This record gives sequence, structure tokens and C-alpha cells, in this order.
Amino acid sequence: MGNTKVLVVDDEASIRRFLRVTLTSQTYTVFEAASGKEALSRVAEDKPDIVVLDLSLPDIDGIEVTRLLREWTQKPIIILSVRGAENDKIAALDAGADDYLTKPFGVGELLARLRAALRRAEKTSGDPVFISGSLKVDLSRRLVTVAGNEVPLTPNEYGLLRVLVTHAGKVLTHRHLLHEVWGAEYGDEFHMLHVNISNLRRKVEPDPARPQLILTEPGVGYRLKISE
Amino acid sequence: MSLPEINPNPERKNKPIKRAYYWRRYLIGLGLFVLATLLGYLVRTFFAPTNIIMIYLLCVTVSAVLGGLGPSIMVSILSVLAFDFFFITPYLTFAVDDTQYIFTFIALLLVGMIISYLTSRVRQQTEAARLRERETAALYALGRDLAISGDLLSYIEAIVKRIKETLGHDVIMFLPDTQSDGKLKAYAGDAETGIDQNELDAAGWSFQYQKKAGHGTETFSNAKARYLPLVTVRGAVGVMALIAPGTMGELSIEQERLLRAYTDLVAVSIEGIQLSDELRNVQVLKATEKLQTALLNAISHDLRTPLVSVIGTLSSLQEEGIGLDDAAKKNLIQVAREEADRLNHLISNLLDESRIEAGAITLSRQSSEVQDLVGAALEQLGSRVSTRMINIDVPSETPFISVDFGLIVQTLANILDNALKYSPPDSPIEIRARQISQEVHIEIADHGVGIPEQDLPHVFSKFYRIKRPDNVAGTGLGLSISKGIVEVHGGHIKAENGQDGGTIIRLILPVDAPNAKTGVKNNG
Repeated sequence: MGNTKVLVVDDEASIRRFLRVTLTSQTYTVFEAASGKEALSRVAEDKPDIVVLDLSLPDIDGIEVTRLLREWTQKPIIILSVRGAENDKIAALDAGADDYLTKPFGVGELLARLRAALRRAEKTSGDPVFISGSLKVDLSRRLVTVAGNEVPLTPNEYGLLRVLVTHAGKVLTHRHLLHEVWGAEYGDEFHMLHVNISNLRRKVEPDPARPQLILTEPGVGYRLKISE
Repeated sequence: MSLPEINPNPERKNKPIKRAYYWRRYLIGLGLFVLATLLGYLVRTFFAPTNIIMIYLLCVTVSAVLGGLGPSIMVSILSVLAFDFFFITPYLTFAVDDTQYIFTFIALLLVGMIISYLTSRVRQQTEAARLRERETAALYALGRDLAISGDLLSYIEAIVKRIKETLGHDVIMFLPDTQSDGKLKAYAGDAETGIDQNELDAAGWSFQYQKKAGHGTETFSNAKARYLPLVTVRGAVGVMALIAPGTMGELSIEQERLLRAYTDLVAVSIEGIQLSDELRNVQVLKATEKLQTALLNAISHDLRTPLVSVIGTLSSLQEEGIGLDDAAKKNLIQVAREEADRLNHLISNLLDESRIEAGAITLSRQSSEVQDLVGAALEQLGSRVSTRMINIDVPSETPFISVDFGLIVQTLANILDNALKYSPPDSPIEIRARQISQEVHIEIADHGVGIPEQDLPHVFSKFYRIKRPDNVAGTGLGLSISKGIVEVHGGHIKAENGQDGGTIIRLILPVDAPNAKTGVKNNG
């Protein structure tokens, strides 16, 4: 991992400094950018493996930066935002960001998100079998088992689980899930999504009241947890 | 006989009653005179003429009491003439045999006049006293209106009503409007419709120069109303307009005087109300300032305390001279981290509170499952709940609620945080949800000491913290924010004490009715 390159985009010098010190000590190579424009040129020149992007930038906002980057690169993007800016988060995720962190955050959390995003990006050939805890999903055989027992799912529940598994570890917004499973015209049927998630949890979670696999990202969407 | 009191002035249309009254007084005098003459005539054979004079004097006195000065003078003169005509020889002529009776006539006339004058003065004084009493009663009534009403608008209403009652005229009050640079604003009255620019100008002139204007005065005499400035020692406080004084006849002298007394009293009263309003505003401002200072003190203490730990820890790690072993360092860092988290929590709460107070919260409602909300709240509390026994009882048939997911999770987390803090570490916490008619009740119950009965109504107040023996960190904002959030959703929040001790916080939120079917239909 010694040559993993991270681009840190934030207009606050103290935050860039703190991230550089922390990430360098974890053997990452760190590049910095203080504005949206600088970020765009840095990504082109330095070719980082992953981008940590603050949403509030002085020139172009982070959502737009995400959109512009996604026009030509699929390198993972982790958004930094403040609490309460849920709509910005959703917009950035819909624009193609992989994950988000709410400021202030702990270093442990940041490192975990970086590792997960990098691992997802490295995984080139799709492995049809996903395992997390007692849940096993075999996409090639459309087979879902919990602790070895097959779980019968409705087509929509299976559709949801399939989208979650193919993007395991990534935050998926409500709208994204609705588009993928039901189609674009169902983009606002949040209730339908919640009902299906609820049913799915009852079938695959050991304790549906305290989900361990299908995690709720409050106000944003859902994420399938991958075992570390 | 000429009657100078009767003035056939065409403007005085309301005078017929008064004129008839005058006529009646003279008729009474005349009647009494005729009666006295008949009586004298009947007894003339037994009584000396000088005694018959007494009958006439009695008649003059009674006329003066009943009819006043005019009738009694009339009776005096008639008495002298009749006495001469009927009772002095030669009878039935005005000629007199005995010239000494000339003196009797003069004496009778003078005595009659004096009696008339004295009696009528007594009458006038009585009349004046009665008028004064009426005036005092009217002013007293207006004063009582002031005491009862208390605020300006209801007082003005009372004035208008009172003057309509006592003087029979509609009244409009004009007071300077503080919101539009002291321009006069009309208050009260059903007669408000008649105000045009000319009337407003008249009122404005009267206010500016503190003089009467409008109908019946020299300035703006074409105006429909008469404008009387309300003047106190500090200047004019407003203008009172007496609507259409001409149509009802001029005011009598007493009414004019009463009106003057009214304007003086009203002016002073309005000034008094305005001054007390100002005073109250100043007091409110002072109280607000005091509260803000207190809040600032409390907050700055709460903000600084965690920083003291953080800065202290960092500086001791920075100092190379202090030989800290790894365990000590780890311990210090742990403290700093917890304190920094606390600071972050406090700042978030303060921001939420100010957003709620400013009405700046916009809900992004979405149909949410109660179990999901509870799960996310527990997730947010992280390691703090993993060591506690938490019993979740949310039946799967619990309906969805249409809420802002993030805000309600925050609320549940705040309440859970309280439950964790205010109950023993080994006691369980219960989370229950039930549908009751068209609402979902979410209860969070702990098994701590509970909330003293007298504190229950206050726990949702800002910065309110129950006095507890053990010093638990907190700002007293959590529940106040929770209340704000729940109420923005159209719900309620309540604090109760459990039957076997402990606190129950109950959130009541409306069921998400319109979308409930969509999900089930499309499910699977």
C-alpha cells in the first residue's frame, strides 16, 4: 500500500495538514488541493487512487467537482460534509461519490472508509458470491442463504439485495436504489423502498431492530456492510 | 309678557322641550296667583287686607321655588296689581283711597322681588350642584374605564362608548402611529368611514398646533367633525374628533364643559398608558438582557470546560520534559477525545436550538419505519448502548410515520442519551412503539430515579436541568430540542414517571396515512 496516492481537497489549511500527517503516517502518499479547480487539475496530473473531497469549496462546489471528475474517471471519491447538509450529500452521492464522512470525524473512521473504497475499486472481476456474517448471496445462482438456510425472497427484495451486493460497502441513495430496482418513474416512492428494506431485513438480519448488514444512512440511503 | 329666555334661533332644533318647560313654569306661577287671589277673595270679609298680603307672599315664594326667578317676579307684580284691584277700596279699580297703601304696594313688590331672588339663587346652586355631581359621575366613569381596560385600544373603545352615551355624539380618536413616523392613525368607532383627506388634515392641524379645529371653529370649518387636541404638559398625545356636532344641535354649556373635562382626562390617561407601555418594554428588554447574560455565562462555561481538557492534554503531550508512560498518554488522549466529542455535541445542539427557534428547520419528510428510526438512533449512540441492555418492542404491524428521518433519529438519540445518563448502568432501557388511533406512540423508558413531580412540566424548557445529587454532564438543551423537532412534525412529546420508578418519554407522531397503501401494493 506504500504507493497508494490520496488527494485531499479542502480549503482549510489546518484540515489538510491534519490529514496529511495522519495519512502519511499510514504510508499513503498525500497530495493537496485548496480549491475545486486545483482539485480537477491535480487529479489529471498526479493521478491519485482516491480523492477525499470537501463539499464546501471557495470556487466550484464539491458536487460539481464530483460530476466533472465522473465524466472521465471512476476513481473513488469520499465526500466530507457538515451535519445538516443532507441534501448536498445526497446530490454528491447521486453525482457519483462513493461514500461520505460528516465533520468532525475520527481518524479510525476515515481510514476504514478509505480502505473499503480502495478495495471496492481494486475488485476488477465481479465475484458472484458475497459473504458477510451469516449472509451468503450467490448472484450467479440467485441463491440467498442465512446460516446455510435458503431464504425465499420476492423479486423486488432480491433486486434490492442484488444492487446492494454489487455496490457492497458503498452508500446508495434512496433514489439510486429505486431507479435500479423499480425504474426511473418510481424515483419518489420512498415508502415502497422502506417497506421492502424492512421486509428484507426481517428475512436476512439476525436482529431486525438493530441491523448489522443493511445499514441505514439517516436521511441519505442504505449501505450493505462488508466484513472487514 | 316678553320671555327673553326663548330664542327662536333656527339652529336650536332641540329646544322645543326647553321652551315648553319655560312656558309651564310661567303657567304654574299664573295658576298659583289665580289660586291666591280666589282664596283672598273668599276670606276678605274675615281678614284684614294686610293678612291677605301674606297669602300673596306665600304664592310668590312657592312660585320662586317651583318656577324660578322669572315666574316669581311676574307673580310679584301681578300680586300688587290684584291686591290693589280686588282688596283695596274702591274695589275693582286701580284707584286708591288711602294713600298709605301705596307704601304697602311698594313693600309687597320689594319683598316679593327679594324672596324671588333669594329663592332662585338657592335653586341655581342646587342645580349647579346637581350638574357638578353628574359631571363628576361621568368623569369617574371614564376614569374607571381606564382602570378596567389597561391597554390603549380597549381604553379608546371605552372612551368612544362613554362619550356616545353622555353626549350623544360619535367620537373618533386620532393617535400618532409609531410605525409610520408619528402620522395620525384613526382608532375605533363605527363612524370611521367618513374620514377623508380634509378631515385628516384638520386632525393633523389640531394635533400640530394643539388648537381646536373643524366644524364650529375658525380653522377647517368645512370639516364634518370638530377636532379637539388632547394636550398634556408633555405636548399633544392625540386628537379627539366629535363627529357631526351640527346635526344634533350645539352642545349646551354644561356639555361643553364636560367635553373639556373629558379631553383633559383622556389626554392624561392616554399619556399614562403610553408611558407604562414604554416602561414595560424597558423592563422586558432588561429581563431579556439578563437572561441572555445568564445563558451566555452557562454556555461559555460549558464550551470552555471541554476545551480545558483538550488543551491540557495536548500541551502535556507536547512538553518533552514530562515523562509520560504509554498508559498515561493513552488515558489522557482518551479524556481529550471524549471532551472534544462532548463539545461537538453541545455545538450541534446549540445550532439545532437556534434553527428551531428561528423557524429555519425545513422538514424533508419521508415515510419512515419506526424500527428503522430506533435502529439508526442506537447506531448513532454507538459504543454507549452496546454495553446496556436495551429491550426493543416495536411490533412489525406498526404503521410508518412521515417524518424527517435525520431529525427524528437525532431526537430519539437525545432521549436515549438522557435515559443512559440518568439511570444506573446495569438497568435496562425499554423502547416501545404502539399505534393508538391515527398516531404512533414511541416510549423510551428507563429505570432510574425518575423526575420529581414538580419538575415534569419543565423538563422540556430550554437550559432546564433537574437538580441531581451526582453531577451529570449536559446542557439542558436535549429535551428542548426534541420538543421543538417533534412539534414541527405536528406531534407531541410528554414526560411521565413510570409505575415502578424511572422516566418515560413519550413521542406521539401522526401515522403516515396517504402513502401507506402504495408500499404494500407494490411489495413483491
